[in-house]
Amino acid sequence: MEALEQLIHAGQLSPVRDRMAAELEDVNTLCSTYRSRIYRYALLSLRDPDLAESVTQDCFLKAYKARKEFRGDCSVATWLTRIATNLIRDATRSRKFQFWKAANSTAVDAGAIADRLRSPGLSPETFLMIKEELRQLWDTVATLPGQQRSVFLLRFVEEMEVLEIATAMGLHVGTVKSHLHRALTAVRKAMEGTK
Amino acid sequence: MKTTHLSAWEHEECVLGEATPEMLGHLTECAPCRAEVARLEHGVAVYRKAALEWSSECLVARPQRPHMAGKNGLPAVALRWAIAAAVLLVLALLPFHVGSRRPVQRTAEISDDVLLQQVDEQVSVSVPASMESLTHLVSTESSSGAGAATAAPGGKHIVQTN
Repeated sequence: MEALEQLIHAGQLSPVRDRMAAELEDVNTLCSTYRSRIYRYALLSLRDPDLAESVTQDCFLKAYKARKEFRGDCSVATWLTRIATNLIRDATRSRKFQFWKAANSTAVDAGAIADRLRSPGLSPETFLMIKEELRQLWDTVATLPGQQRSVFLLRFVEEMEVLEIATAMGLHVGTVKSHLHRALTAVRKAMEGTK
Repeated sequence: MKTTHLSAWEHEECVLGEATPEMLGHLTECAPCRAEVARLEHGVAVYRKAALEWSSECLVARPQRPHMAGKNGLPAVALRWAIAAAVLLVLALLPFHVGSRRPVQRTAEISDDVLLQQVDEQVSVSVPASMESLTHLVSTESSSGAGAATAAPGGKHIVQTN
């Protein structure tokens, strides 16, 4: 994003924008480049593999249909993330999602995920501690408010910069930072519980 | 450098990579603050690792679906337009096609009529065309005329009247 802004000031945006426009035209390359990223974001936000797949497909379809509206004022990844954020928000508001959330049928077992992280060099005690820690963190992140969770995921899983997150979510930088602090406070409290 | 311990907010700033030089200076000197920041960073790292693991596992189990309508989605649009154009073309040419068929039909009907008329004329003629030359031959059985008379077999005389 910062590099992009530098290019804007240097008057070299046009070739970059053209390259981005070409990238959006080739939907196959677009999907193969960003699919895993968008799917991961949707999956961690919704915790439902089927719904995440549906959101991912819709995201690329929407991006392809709206490719002429892409002004090139942010990266393609940030633009796709913005579309995905809107789709995720719509999905979480749907009655179907609310019903299954209430039924808790899509709950993911953090313990099972932790088992896959077990490395041979890890002692059983350390592994148990990590497992418990992850269980707490997993549940804490799941119960964060929507925007807070999205900001947390984009910063700590997708490793996006605060400015990029602000662009992707249509928020002020200050609001993003505020969400990040609140999310980290919740994470710290969850980890204090496992001490 | 800060002499008192960093606050929770400052710890979070360090994790977010927004630490001021003053905070960083304190961290190099203060083990408890450093441990607190490291603990928070460890928690986030564990979460990230688990999230990536779960996501890639779900992604592998889910083969990529074919993209919308072929490469770049363009053939579907092009095909739709081509079909619409073909339908319009057929509809536009249909009246001409029907109109052009009618004169042919009428011409055929006329030629049929002429043919039938010719057949009728041929049929209505008392003497067939192949025997028409014979009509000029007059039987002289009952009358005698000018010209050369020849005796036909059976006792009849045929007179050629050229």
